[in-house]
Amino acid sequence: MTRYIIRRLLLLIPVLIGISIVTFAMLRLIPGDPWEVMLGEHATDAAIAELRERMGMDEPLPVQYLRYVESVLRLDLGRSVKTNRPVLQEIGQRLPATVELTLGALLVACVVGIPAGIFAAYRHNSAFDLATMFGSLLGVSMPIFWLGLMLAYIFGFLLKWLPPSARLTIGVEMQTIAEAWGLSTGPTGPSSMRIMTADEFFSGFYVLRAILTGNLTALRDVLSHLVLPSVALGSIPMAVIARMTRSSMLEVLGEDYIRTARAKGQTEKGILLKHALKNAFLPIITVIGLALGTLLGGAILTETIFSWPGLGRLVVDRILSRDYPVVQGCVLIIALIFVVVNLLVDISYAYVDPRIHYE
Amino acid sequence: MNSIRRTNSDVSERMGPRSSLFRDAMRRLFRNKLAITGLVIMGTFLLTAIFAPLIAPYDPIKQELIMRRRPPSQEHALGRDDLGRDILSRIIFGARLSLQVGVVSVGFAIVIGAVIGALSGYAGGWVDNIVMRLMDIMLAFPALLLALAIVTILGPGLMNMLYAIGIVSIPAYARIVRASVLSVKEQDYILAARAIGAPPSRILFRNVFPNTLTPLIVQGTLGIGTAILDAAGLSFLGLGAQPPRPEWGAMLGQGRYAVFTAPHIVLFPGMAIMLTVLGFNLLGDGLRDSLDPKLRV
Repeated sequence: MTRYIIRRLLLLIPVLIGISIVTFAMLRLIPGDPWEVMLGEHATDAAIAELRERMGMDEPLPVQYLRYVESVLRLDLGRSVKTNRPVLQEIGQRLPATVELTLGALLVACVVGIPAGIFAAYRHNSAFDLATMFGSLLGVSMPIFWLGLMLAYIFGFLLKWLPPSARLTIGVEMQTIAEAWGLSTGPTGPSSMRIMTADEFFSGFYVLRAILTGNLTALRDVLSHLVLPSVALGSIPMAVIARMTRSSMLEVLGEDYIRTARAKGQTEKGILLKHALKNAFLPIITVIGLALGTLLGGAILTETIFSWPGLGRLVVDRILSRDYPVVQGCVLIIALIFVVVNLLVDISYAYVDPRIHYE
Repeated sequence: MNSIRRTNSDVSERMGPRSSLFRDAMRRLFRNKLAITGLVIMGTFLLTAIFAPLIAPYDPIKQELIMRRRPPSQEHALGRDDLGRDILSRIIFGARLSLQVGVVSVGFAIVIGAVIGALSGYAGGWVDNIVMRLMDIMLAFPALLLALAIVTILGPGLMNMLYAIGIVSIPAYARIVRASVLSVKEQDYILAARAIGAPPSRILFRNVFPNTLTPLIVQGTLGIGTAILDAAGLSFLGLGAQPPRPEWGAMLGQGRYAVFTAPHIVLFPGMAIMLTVLGFNLLGDGLRDSLDPKLRV
């Protein structure tokens, strides 16, 4: 097992180098002078020259690349052209919102998708089965930004059951985690080095923050804001998970040991959950892992619709306002998260299915 | 290019002796009700795109500001948008753009992906290793994010969006073709072709490539649906087709601020996207089941 993990980690190195080259090249490939573009039409030559120098643009490309890698390793992703704040700080403030949304969507997808798939397989060819299959086909064919808009219109505007946008109702107050627990807010370095404190970062996870500060009003508010975006974003993985669960269960339910379990008088519930689901679970984990790419990509669209202050919206906003260092930083961070999570998923398969690491 | 064109005639030649297999597959396809539904949806979409100027009741870009956001009525079956344009006509003309995006970007990805995958699988060794690592790097980015990054570099616009979506889809096709090439490379008939002195290019395009067609057709059909969805997403964000082009995603993007006051502006373009993608997905699933029962999920 350790050898398998080491091999997987070694395979990660070329991918990480590749990601760094892609994000490095992004800024250099923009046609024209990106610095002029970033600073706008009225930029003075001096300002452009200063920015070019700050970015080390007058060095040969390989030197620039090595500098870039070095600064990334020092956790320095440069500064935003728009706000002049460190890029990592901007990302750190937005990342918790995206993580919360993605986890919410994954939860919705699993909680609805897996039981629907199990039941559809159990009642194979029933009306429920057909409805599940049709629903999952619609799910993968539907643009999530359209579903999001329709959900916001129906449940947020017409029925007024749930808030149609944002993460928190204006006026709902929450202490930060450190305030509530009477902790110091973490080490503070010199102001130029300072990106953000641990408290600032973790307090960005509103669900966690509401729970840890024991603020029930805020928790209810935060969760109600999370529902619609999670359903919209979770719709595609939900469809894929339901479909995979169904086909995987169908295969397993036809096995001899299921008949044996039935013959020895095992209850139907026991057969489904203990004998069948356990064996059907591997392909289901696989699609859950694959769903992550859909979720991170889809978050870009979902966040735009629900005014969700996450990474996805940051990318789009900054592409439109040509704040390229921030775009570059976001692309790098999202790709890194994606790669690391995929690695964890792979390792967890090897853990669940011993056949993998014996290969 | 020449060799690729030659492949097509090879395929039809090859279909000769295997025609019963082909006919079998077609019979299975036409017995599949869902696939037929997909085919009908796709056909309608195709005809709409071709005959758009004849079907559309109004000019898709003519604005009538005093009539903005009017709900569906007898004259304007699907209502008018934010600038008073007829939504039905815009959806009808939008079919052209979506078809163009889907077919061109997937075609681009298939051609490049197939060449990369075939060379990589056939050459093996370090070439294969490097090419596949490159594909891994592309797959290390969520597809929509990579497309977004490419559009950032190339600048917003319909054509650039086409390239972006095409480039992002390359690894999927390269992998499919490579896998098929690896599986047939060691077969006896390839050895025989090599023994009679056929050059590698001839073996690749005449003997190896036709075997990769089935998974390519299936993946390509499903891929058009995905490409249409991604394109709609990019246009929705304002990075794809630019106004006043009647692109479905862009219609949603421009209309989204009106969703609470005039929901019809976003309802119908979204339904058009969903129906079209549904059509490609149904057909793709049907093709997979009938062409290659082994792949059935």
